Amino acid sequence: MGSIRFDKVNKVFGTGKAGLNALEDIDLEIGEKEFVAIVGPSGCGKTTCLRIVAGFERPTSGAVSVNGKPVGSPGPDRAVVFQHFALFPWKSVRENIDLGLRNKRLAKAKRDALIADALKLMNLESHADAFPHQLSGGMQQRVAIARAYVLDPEVLLMDEPFGALDAQTRVTMQEELVRLTRVNPRTVLFITHSVEEAVYLADRVAVMTRRPGRIKEMIDVKTIRNAERWNTIQRIEDVMDLESFIHLRTHIWKSLREEKPEDRH
Amino acid sequence: MIGRRRTAIGFATLAILILLWFALTTWTGIVSAGRFPRPADFWFSLVQITTRGYAGGELFTHALHSLVLVVVGFSVAVTTGVPLGLWMGWNRRAEAAVNPVFLIIRPIPPLACIPLAILWLGLGDAAKIMVIWFAAFVPSVINSFSGVRTIERPIIEAARMLGTPPWRFVAEILVPAAAPMIFTGLRLSLQAAWTTLVAAELVGALVGLGLVLNMAQQDIYPGMILVGMLAVGVLGFATTWLLGGVERRALAWNMAAER
Amino acid sequence: MIDQPLKLRETIAYGLIGLGLFLGIWTLLSVSGWIPRQFLPAPLDVITRFVALLTTPFAGATLPQHLLSSFQRYLCGMLLAAIVGIPLGLLMGRFRLLDDILSPIFEGLRFIAPIAWVPFAALWFGTGIGGPVMIIFAGAFPPCLINSYRGARFVDPHLVEASQMLGTGHLRAIVEVLLPASVPSIVAGLRVAAGLGWQSLVGAELIVAASGVGFMMVQAQANVSTPTVMAGMIAIGIAGMLIDVLLRHGEAMIRRRRGL
Repeated sequence: MGSIRFDKVNKVFGTGKAGLNALEDIDLEIGEKEFVAIVGPSGCGKTTCLRIVAGFERPTSGAVSVNGKPVGSPGPDRAVVFQHFALFPWKSVRENIDLGLRNKRLAKAKRDALIADALKLMNLESHADAFPHQLSGGMQQRVAIARAYVLDPEVLLMDEPFGALDAQTRVTMQEELVRLTRVNPRTVLFITHSVEEAVYLADRVAVMTRRPGRIKEMIDVKTIRNAERWNTIQRIEDVMDLESFIHLRTHIWKSLREEKPEDRH
Repeated sequence: MIGRRRTAIGFATLAILILLWFALTTWTGIVSAGRFPRPADFWFSLVQITTRGYAGGELFTHALHSLVLVVVGFSVAVTTGVPLGLWMGWNRRAEAAVNPVFLIIRPIPPLACIPLAILWLGLGDAAKIMVIWFAAFVPSVINSFSGVRTIERPIIEAARMLGTPPWRFVAEILVPAAAPMIFTGLRLSLQAAWTTLVAAELVGALVGLGLVLNMAQQDIYPGMILVGMLAVGVLGFATTWLLGGVERRALAWNMAAER
Repeated sequence: MIDQPLKLRETIAYGLIGLGLFLGIWTLLSVSGWIPRQFLPAPLDVITRFVALLTTPFAGATLPQHLLSSFQRYLCGMLLAAIVGIPLGLLMGRFRLLDDILSPIFEGLRFIAPIAWVPFAALWFGTGIGGPVMIIFAGAFPPCLINSYRGARFVDPHLVEASQMLGTGHLRAIVEVLLPASVPSIVAGLRVAAGLGWQSLVGAELIVAASGVGFMMVQAQANVSTPTVMAGMIAIGIAGMLIDVLLRHGEAMIRRRRGL
């Protein structure tokens, strides 16, 4: 459940001369419950990849499928966590989380139970009836994650979800996401600018070239992570201190660096 | 603290203005009573219209009638205009179809419709409501349209991602998101409604504050003109204040956020 | 559906459909006699009448002559509103005390529709030019005032500090710093004022005028000459639109020169 497959996907925005070649020949397979991060220079099309899986964009050619079936319109089976939260300001935290469940036509008792679990999971219990503007960025994003998770989606799509948060909150959220995916694993496609974040969170990291985006490299983190037993270490900063981590990170940095115009020969 | 100083100055200014009023009219006669009423004239007119009546009725009758016309016209305009604006905002085809007609109608000032309305419907209430409707309709459409167009894309995408069915989408996402601009349109519509009502009643009416103003002008009765103007102002203020209350309640989430 | 703009072809097609439906139903209602033609002239009748009015006088003058009278009053009223409103707004924005004194007065007057001043205008000016000018002033003055007030009040504090540091005297500061800094806001206000002023003009002419487009329409209404009434409405609409388009261009030009 929840495998993703990109099959020779191309995406062009606009037509003719003014056309923007965003993605070129993307071939990518993400296995069940696998956490894959995509990193790449600005404008390389990594967000476009996510949006195609989400159903907000259609590929110009090629196909994207989830569980073997081609991707259709947006829906709760491919839940999205947006960079700027996209919470509904006129709904309370509880109501924000409830909407997706109501759309699924679940009975009230069931919905209340699921919401209670989600609030507990994301440490939002004391803020259940607050409104988004009363919450900090980190808390808002927790609500957004809760809103997505509560739908039990096959695929979780996260579009630079911690990009709008300050550095400290970001670290906290990264630790929480790791905890969450351990307790409740599922397929995750995670877009980020931050190499450290990608290496810390993901099983595999895809490096994209600059526009038109192609997948330059796939780096396997999971093997190294398991071998070096990162999960026994509590704090992010200690993990990031490990040689294995630094090695991976530097490798990806170098790969990305080559994508900057001034460094290409 | 600034608020208190401002209120104090406000009261002081009011007092000075009233003194000035007395000074220029009653005490020195620089402004003749035929041009602008003396405080006593004003008071006399006020008493007259509230007790014995003027232009065919008491102040309450005229005021109520005008108020009812405004409320009815405004309500019809809003219940037709807001949905149309929302629809045009959401549906590009609807926008393309309605736009040309709208562009033709829009530059025509509502007041310019008064002669036509009178021609069609006479001097009664129907003509007034028609013109008020037209005046209040346009701002509601435009602002509701804007309200939809300025919704941030992620909000719409999040709602779609959550699998929101169409009717729920309109009721729980589209309307609340567009609500701030919808209310801006409502405020403008209310303003337009009052302006049009007064103008329509001035041109021709059988009852209402505009009629009072008209008669008072023909009778060369400045005191009554002032009474009429103040009545219009007070009612305008009251209705605006009520609408503001509704807005504050409905947009509690937004107001707080803008703090 | 929102994020897919229509192709030009589609926009035109739907536009034509909408327009066609509107004109079609109108013509049908009129020509079939379902609504008496006297009350609802067909679109063609209106256009014909409009063209006729360009040369044939009605209610004392041809349409262009009426428009000219209207325009003269309009310009007088607008100039007055601008000449009084803009400097006053700047001063209120600059001097807090003035703001505190005058603002409550304007706030109170806000709820009295400009048109409600017509009886006094009639009393003081009869059907002379003063009447409409006063009403136009009542309509156009608030936006002029408010926008120049906002421009001055919310001018970038750094500019003010810079001018103070350079030892600029009060008058020069107002003329050479505050005024230019407020120009974008003032011009935006003028555009709003122009629209409101035009509306006020029409309203005033319905009641206290002996010439002008509004007067022409009232006469036509009394004579049950519906095509003339409608022709008048079209003329007013076109004129209003032209004024707005002109000012929009002016505003855009100024914004471009300022690099906004």
